[in-house]
Order: sequence, then structure tokens, then C-alpha cells
Amino acid sequence: MKKYLFLVIALTALILAACGGQAKEEKTESETATETNESKEVNLYTARHYDVDDELYAKFEEETGIKVNVIKGEADELLERIKREGDATEADLFLTADAGRLYRAKADDLLQPVSSDLLDEQVPANFQDTDQMWYGLTKRARVILYDKETVQPDELSTYEALTEEKWNGRVLIRSSENVYNQSLLASFIEIDGEEQAKEWAAGMVNNFARDPEGGDRDQAKAIAAGIGDVAIMNTYYFGQMLNSEDPEEVKVAEGLGIFFPNQDTTGTHVNVSGAGVVKASKNKDNAIKLLEFLSAPEAQETFASANYEYPVNENVEPSELLQSWGEFKEQDIPLSTLGEHNAKSILIFNEVGWK
Amino acid sequence: MQHRFTNINAWTVSAVIIIFLLFLPNLTIVTGLFTPSNENWEHMKEFVLWGFMKNSLILTAASAFFTILIGLSLAWLIAQYDFPMRHFLKWALILPLSIPPFIGAYTYHGMLSYTGVIQTTLRENFGMAINPAYFDIMNLPGAVFIYTMFLFPYVYSIAQVYLSRQSASLIESTRILGKGPWKTFFQVVLPISRISIIAGASLVVLEVLNDYGVVKYYGVQTFTTAIFQSWFGLGDIESAIKLAASLMGFVILILMIEKILRGRRQYSYSSTKVRPLPLIPLSGWKAAAATGYGFVILSLAFVIPVAQLIDWTVLTYGTIPMGEFMNYVKNSVFVAGLSATLIIVFALIVGNFARMVRGRLGKLLPRLTVLGYSIPGAVIAVAVVTAFIGLDRFLTPFYVWAGFSTTLVLSVSIVLLVTAYIIRFFAIGYNSIETGYDKIGTDFRDASRTLGLGVTKTFFKVDMPMMKGAIISGFILVFIDVLKEIPLTLILRPFNFDTLSTKAFQYASDEKIMEASQASLLIIGISALAIVFFYKFLERELD
Amino acid sequence: MFVAIEDVCFSYTDAKTRALDNFTLKIEKGEVISILGRSGSGKSTVLRLLAGLEKPEKGRLVIQDEVLFDDKTFLQPEKRGIGMVFQDYALFPHLTVAENILFGLFRMKKAAKKKRLQEVLELVELQDFGKRYPHQLSGGQQQRVAIARAVAPNPHLILLDEPFSNLDAELQGKIREELRDILKKANITSIFVTHDEKDAHILADRIVKLKDGRIEFVGRPCDMLDTYRQTGIQPLTDGFVEKSLTGVN
Repeated sequence: MKKYLFLVIALTALILAACGGQAKEEKTESETATETNESKEVNLYTARHYDVDDELYAKFEEETGIKVNVIKGEADELLERIKREGDATEADLFLTADAGRLYRAKADDLLQPVSSDLLDEQVPANFQDTDQMWYGLTKRARVILYDKETVQPDELSTYEALTEEKWNGRVLIRSSENVYNQSLLASFIEIDGEEQAKEWAAGMVNNFARDPEGGDRDQAKAIAAGIGDVAIMNTYYFGQMLNSEDPEEVKVAEGLGIFFPNQDTTGTHVNVSGAGVVKASKNKDNAIKLLEFLSAPEAQETFASANYEYPVNENVEPSELLQSWGEFKEQDIPLSTLGEHNAKSILIFNEVGWK
Repeated sequence: MQHRFTNINAWTVSAVIIIFLLFLPNLTIVTGLFTPSNENWEHMKEFVLWGFMKNSLILTAASAFFTILIGLSLAWLIAQYDFPMRHFLKWALILPLSIPPFIGAYTYHGMLSYTGVIQTTLRENFGMAINPAYFDIMNLPGAVFIYTMFLFPYVYSIAQVYLSRQSASLIESTRILGKGPWKTFFQVVLPISRISIIAGASLVVLEVLNDYGVVKYYGVQTFTTAIFQSWFGLGDIESAIKLAASLMGFVILILMIEKILRGRRQYSYSSTKVRPLPLIPLSGWKAAAATGYGFVILSLAFVIPVAQLIDWTVLTYGTIPMGEFMNYVKNSVFVAGLSATLIIVFALIVGNFARMVRGRLGKLLPRLTVLGYSIPGAVIAVAVVTAFIGLDRFLTPFYVWAGFSTTLVLSVSIVLLVTAYIIRFFAIGYNSIETGYDKIGTDFRDASRTLGLGVTKTFFKVDMPMMKGAIISGFILVFIDVLKEIPLTLILRPFNFDTLSTKAFQYASDEKIMEASQASLLIIGISALAIVFFYKFLERELD
Repeated sequence: MFVAIEDVCFSYTDAKTRALDNFTLKIEKGEVISILGRSGSGKSTVLRLLAGLEKPEKGRLVIQDEVLFDDKTFLQPEKRGIGMVFQDYALFPHLTVAENILFGLFRMKKAAKKKRLQEVLELVELQDFGKRYPHQLSGGQQQRVAIARAVAPNPHLILLDEPFSNLDAELQGKIREELRDILKKANITSIFVTHDEKDAHILADRIVKLKDGRIEFVGRPCDMLDTYRQTGIQPLTDGFVEKSLTGVN
């Protein structure tokens, strides 16, 4: 009688084993390759998930014969997974869209330094980690978008100026839960110190046109809807809207002007997407090859333009749209400071009541 | 505790193993409750925690209230009255369950935003410039609307089955006693459906408590926000776990209240005696109102968002690579089907164990397994990864012996993901199965045993066939939930493994909701098919 | 002695008082015993203990020299060879009448099964109903199926829990007679539980009256009337003794 029950359990075990087995087979292949030191794979944990990325990985495989295995996820969760997997991790390269996360990966001792002349040539020093733990691949600026009808560009000057009385009830920006805002505030902590940074955050909250909601694109739409007059946004979202499939979004974007703040003072806030080789990587050479490939001129063009970002490789011209916005002065701070002050910035946001 | 049955060993052993495995990862979280508090914790407590908790409470209470209001009123209309299109509405009203709430949230915002179809049409075709603030859905009431629309079928489906099968004589006697329909509803229908309402509403509450997609996008800060802020923002996993543990404590409280309200009474019936409720035909404006009400809800919760998604799919057709979509469908259906099967098998074993044992401990044990449903997916993910890495370390000697040269075998396989799904969604399957067991009661089992069949044989010959409905409904619910699931799938999947929901999320998280529409529609389509299949099956069973 | 119940005690998990306190009863083969008592008196508990659906705290249960329960033994319900008719019949709704009856005959050969099915269907006079489902039968017919199902495997003992409680008054009288005939025809030892004095007096060879888990009276129905007159024990039905005397039945 009991045999029914055991049948069920045995069946369950069988199914589980079958699934496990499937994965095992694949892995065994890759592992035998590692042993003979001719691994033909590289395992990538990435928080960037554009369709064009897959095309680049395919192209990389075509050129080098190295297959790129990908897990796409949210940066923080991926980091936590690498941390938990420890020495046994399968990850070789960690790619994310924010310098703060790269800093945290480094701080948590998850990355290893790599030296490559090609990388040094392709990625300018200020977009590399000081210890060569990670390399920037694309960059973007966090800028001010304004309503062409109600705001003249000469009324705008700096991020700090947005806290003035004049802008009361006119400023739009997303929630402080978002890492772009955390990094922005972290940069002010680095440049002006904690006190002034907190003052700025409090002044912004005071001038909010509404409680923060939605993503960056929604701030632009709120200008068009007349809820506010200026919005802080990443450059690539503006680019996406100008090229949207939805004619209404294009119309909204066309009514907006882009302004790079703090040109006469500390420079516009920039951030990077970048990647670092995982400390416990078992395919280090391949991981470096992939980094070199992604920062090389051929890939840089696609990699950056896919998302209307600026390439880090100085030999590559940004897309026409980005060129039309003109050149600008960037904040002159080590990008790792964005990560160093991340926790502090969250505490400040909470204290000043920035939702 | 005395052993009243001595040959339940096989069942007891498997049930205890399952409960233990499901509970193990949660243990990491429970222990977090007792770690001393640090600076970050104090900061959270001082500045944000109370506000977040208030939001969470309002959000869950309001969502529960409105899902009950809509779910129960529709269930009652369908169960008691006959009106045009009743037959269609009866199953169509379950369809909103096929739309992942985060997709619903993005879609509604897309429609209502300044560039959305509603404001654009008003502006361009009618020249009306209405204050855009009126269309702002991205706030707490907006989130309640989203949850209500996409979760009310939990209450509706359970209450509808309950009302149409169980209460004929009760409702009839109220009518004979001269109570009008409204009085009947409030004085009889509402109290007697308490059990089914609680069952449905507790699923809603748990779903709302652990959701992150909707509230994050709408800028509503909740308890879950606090968990993620301390974990990722402050890099303080202890505080995060402490918060998750408090959330779990709250959920245990809800579960206990549910159990108390359900009481000690056995709500079983012997189905030989149940008489279906004869429908009262409605006519004239009453019939129109009933049909109209059903269609308004169906439109808001299904037709309108789906139409918008179809529109976006047409708009973006050809701009995103479609080649791999068959693969995503295959992956999605495979993991959802496998997880749902395992959950139902496990739930049957644990459920049968639960009704065999006596004593409080025995009754409490199975409840522990539903905790996974209360914890945000990302937290479960970490707990599961930790547990599996431990398991792999333990198995390393075996791997070496078997000739694998890697030490992470299970942790990078699909077993990891499926296990996480089982922990996360066991509650859904178990709820259905437990209700099934409750409904058939113990008389049939006892009868079978006095006729000479043992526990196991009785299970296959009596319990299983009588619970076919519960088994299938549990399977479908879990299947749909896995299909929609996002944080676990994202973090725990093996290399190069994409599903429809990861694909939809990938676009949506980059604020490309239009590009996300294809994958979303496929999720909705597959779920809807499953619902229709379930419904047709139930119909045939009832005839 | 055919059935022996000795010093059996039992209490439900959450209850404070014993549902059954030192219950002792000996039953002869072929005897029809009625256990009479108000609800909560512990009368159904006796049946559940005999069937093996509950386990006594202490005591001894023996049927035909086989120990069902003592300090060392607990025989599972399926091993006891005791038939039971449940209060609401518990007919499997997914099986036909024939399938319900065949349910307990799984150890028999195919031909023997068929023969036995015909026998019991004839016994309860439902020869033409084999292919029906339980919900297509009337209350009285359902009850007869339940009896047929319990009797089919030839149990040593058959237990009936409130066999008439779900039937209307007119049907009750008729079924009572039928049941008596069936039980006597099949010559099976039986115990039935009831709260109706009349049922007990008409059907039973002996009556056991229970109050708060203890035996208040054991004896033949005719002795019981004397007891009512001579002691302070009250019948469950008011005016029962007077009616019996005037012959109104």
C-alpha cells in the first residue's frame, strides 16, 4: 500500500535529478575546458539588459570562439548572489550601470585587479578604478530638462540654484529610492561636504512640484502636463524619448530643452556603466578579453548608442544626437566616491523627507 | 503526544521532511529577529519606519476591503441571479488574475499619463485640457486600485464556488422569512461566506505585503521599501533581515487570526446532500445593471489593459527581436508546470498529514510552510542561495567522486529556482488542497478504512478523486503565479535562461513599457488559457 | 463472549472531561445492541473506538478472541473487520451504488464479488439501482446502500451511527422495520446508536443507556420500563413510559 507514496516521492526525486542533470551536463563541458586551460566560455552577471548587448556577445563569440553565458538581473541582487557563492561562484565578470555598485563590489572584496595595456588605452584613467578593479564602459550625465515655453535657459545655472525661492513648486525629480539620485547626492557630499549636501536635499524637497513618483521619463511628461517646469533626468532617457515609437512621447521630448548644470562651477554629474572581473573567476583571461572587446571602438559605438549614452573610449565619437547637445564639463571626482557616500546619502534623504 | 495511528509513518516522515525543507531557508530570517540593533536600524526607526508601516497597513487594509467588496458582490450576483451574459462573466471574471500587477501598474500609468491615450484623445479630439493631476494614478490610492483590480479574483473565485454550492437552504430560508436581497446579503451571505472571504482576502493581503514592483514604480513607500533600503542602500543585511522577520511575525499573526476565525468547527459537507441554488432570473433594468456591473469590472481589470498592450505591441512590432520568444514560452511553461506539480504533490502529502495528526503542534507545523508567501521574493532568494551553497558544500565529496570538477552543481541549476518557487508559492497550493480536505471532511476516509483500505490506498481511491477540483484549481493558481513571478526568476535562474516574465520585466524596468507588451501579452494569454481550461473542466465535473 | 469491551477510557484532545469513563460491555453473537443517550453522552465515541477511528487511553477490546486493543496492541481500522454505517452515510459521491458496495470487496475474486454484490443488493432490495450515483437516490435508498456497503464484506460486527436521524418520520417507521429484518436475516452482531427511546425499544435486544460517559442502565427493553418506574432515571423522551403503557406506539 505504501508503495504508492514511495512511487510519488521517487518520481519527485527523479524529476529533480533530471533537472539537476541537465545543468550538470552543461557545466561539465565548461569545466573540462577550464582544466585544460583553454576555456571557451565566460560567465557574465549583468544588470544591463539591452537587446543590443546580446548581439555584441554573439559577435564576441564569433570573433574569439568564446561563448558568453549571461545571467541578467538587478545589480544589488546579483552582487548578493556573488557574495553568497563565494569562492565557488561561476561568475567571471560583473557588469552594472552605476559606479556606486562597482564600488560596493570592490569594497565587499568581490573583484580582482586586472592589468591590460589595451584596456588602459581604451578606457581613460578617470573612468577606471584606482586599483584597476573595474573599468567604465559607457557614461551619461544627470542634467536639467526645462520647459521651452516657460523657462529660458539663462535662468538656469546650477543644481544648487534649483533650491532657490524662484523654483518653489516647479521642480520635478524621482524618488530617492533610485540609485541615480543617491549617486547625485553622494557626489555633492564629496564636493561640498555633508552639511551643504543635506541643505541642498532639503531645499529640493521644499521646491518639489509634487511628491516624487515614477521614473525619469515620467518627470519629463510631468513638465509637458504642466505640473512642473524643470526636471532632473539622465541624458539617455531624453534620448530614448526623442526616438520613441510613441509619437506622443516624441512630442513631449521636443517641447523640452536640455541644460548641463554647474558648467562654471563644479561640473555636471556623470556616472558610468562598467564592469569588473570577479575575484573568484575561473575564466579570468576570457573575462579580460570581453572587457577589451566592449571598450574597443567597434563595440563602443553600438554599446553606447544603443542607449543614447556617451562612449568612454575617446577615439569614438558620440552619436549625432549627443553631439548636438554639445560638449560639457564633468564633475572632477573619483567615481568610487559615489559608492563611498551611498549609505550616507540615503540617510540624508530619509532625514529631509525626500520620498 | 500519543500516537493514535501507528502506520502513518511513510506519510509522517515525508510530510515532516517537506515541512522542514520548506521552512529551513526561513530559519535564517527568523534568527535575524534576535540580532542586536545597530545604527542603521535606529536611524530607520527614527525617520522612516513608522511612515512606511502606516502606508503598508493602509495599503493592505484598503486592498483587502475593496477586493472583498468587488469579489464578494460579483460572486453573489453570479451565484444567485440569472442575467444576460452571466455564463460568460462567471469564468471571465477570473481572467484579471492572469495580468501581473506590475504590468497592470505600468499599463495603467501608460494610459493615464500625459502622453497616454486618454489625455491625448481629450486634448486633441475634444480640445479639453483637463488638469493632469486628475489622471495621476501614481500614489497610494492608485496602488490600491491596481491591487484591487488584479487581485479581486482571489476572493471572487473562492466565494463564488462556496456560495453556489453550499448555501442553498440558508439563503432560501432567509428569503422565505421575508428578507429582501440587500438584507439577505448583509445578514446572511456575508457572515456565512466568512471562511471563503478570509481565505481569498488573506491571499490578497500576503500578495500586497510582499509586492515591490507596483509600489516602487508608484512611489509609495512601504515596509518592503524599508527592507530593500537597508539591504541594498545601506548594505546592512542584518537590519533588512530584522525587518523581514518583523514582517513575517505580522503575517503569522494574520494567519493565526484566520485560523481562529475559522474556528474549530468542521466546515465539511457530504456532497450527496448538497443541492444547487436555483437561480433567480433578473429582468429589465436590474438585469442590465447586473450585466453592466460585471462588464465594468471586467473591462477595468482585463479588457482595457489588454487592449492597450495589444495597441503597444502593434506599435512596436518589428523593433524588438522576436526570434527567441518560442524559447521563452517553453521555459516559462516548463518551470511553471514543474513547480506547480511539485507543490501540489507536496501539499497533498502535508495536508493529509495535517488531518491525521492530533494535537496543537501537529496542526501548527503545516502552517509554517506558508510563511514563504509573506516574504519579499528577493529575501527568499538570498535565503535559498545560502541554503543551496551549504548543500553543495556538503555534497562536494560526492561531486568529486562523480567526476564533476565544479563544486556548485545544484546552486547553478534550475533546481535552485524551482525550490525557491516551491517555498514562495507553497501557500497558494496548500490553501487549495487544505480547503479540499476540509470540504470532504473525515467521514469518507473513515468509511473507506472500515471497509478495509489503509491510509495510502484510501488516499488514492477516495481522497484524490473527490478532491479533483481542489487539485486542479491549486495547480492552475500556482502555475499562473509562477508564470508572473519576477524577483526570484531574475536572480536565481541558470545561465542563459530567460522566461516571459524576465523579458517583460527587462523592458519595463528600463521604462520601456511598450516594448514589454509582447512578453506581457504572452504571459496573459497562457494564463488565460489555463483559466479557461480549468473552468471547462470544473463545468464538466459539476454536470 | 463474542465482543468484549473492558474498562475503556477515552477523552478528546482538547476536552477537560472524559468522553467515556470505564466503559464495559459484553455482547453475544447475533445480538442487536442499542446505545441510547443524549448528544454528548459519549455514545458515538463507543462506535468510533470499536471501529479503530479513535484510540482509547486504556482498556481492552476483543472480538471473537482477537484483541483489537490493549496495552500492546492497536489494530488499524482496516484490519478489524468491522462494518460501519455513518450518520450521513458517507457514500462516495464519485462512485456508483455498485462501486460503493464493491469498494470493500477488493480481496475477493471477480466472480465472487459479482455474486456478493447481487446478494446484498437483494438484501436491501435495490437490485435495479446499481448503476445510479448516490445523489440520484432518495434518503431512504441512500441509507440502504450504506447498510449494503457495510454488510457486504461480511463483518463480524456492524456499527450504525444514528441510522434514522436523516429520515422523515414516516420513512423512519418503515426503515426501522426493514433494518430489523435485514439485520436478523444477515445474522450479524450489531450496535446502533440513537437518541430516540422508541428506536431502541423496537430494534434492540438489549439497551445500554449512557450519561456523561458512564453507563446508567443495561438491560432488555422490557426491563427498562421497570427501571424508569422504580428509579429516578428519566427517559429521554417525555411521557415515554406512559405511552408505552397505553400501547400507543
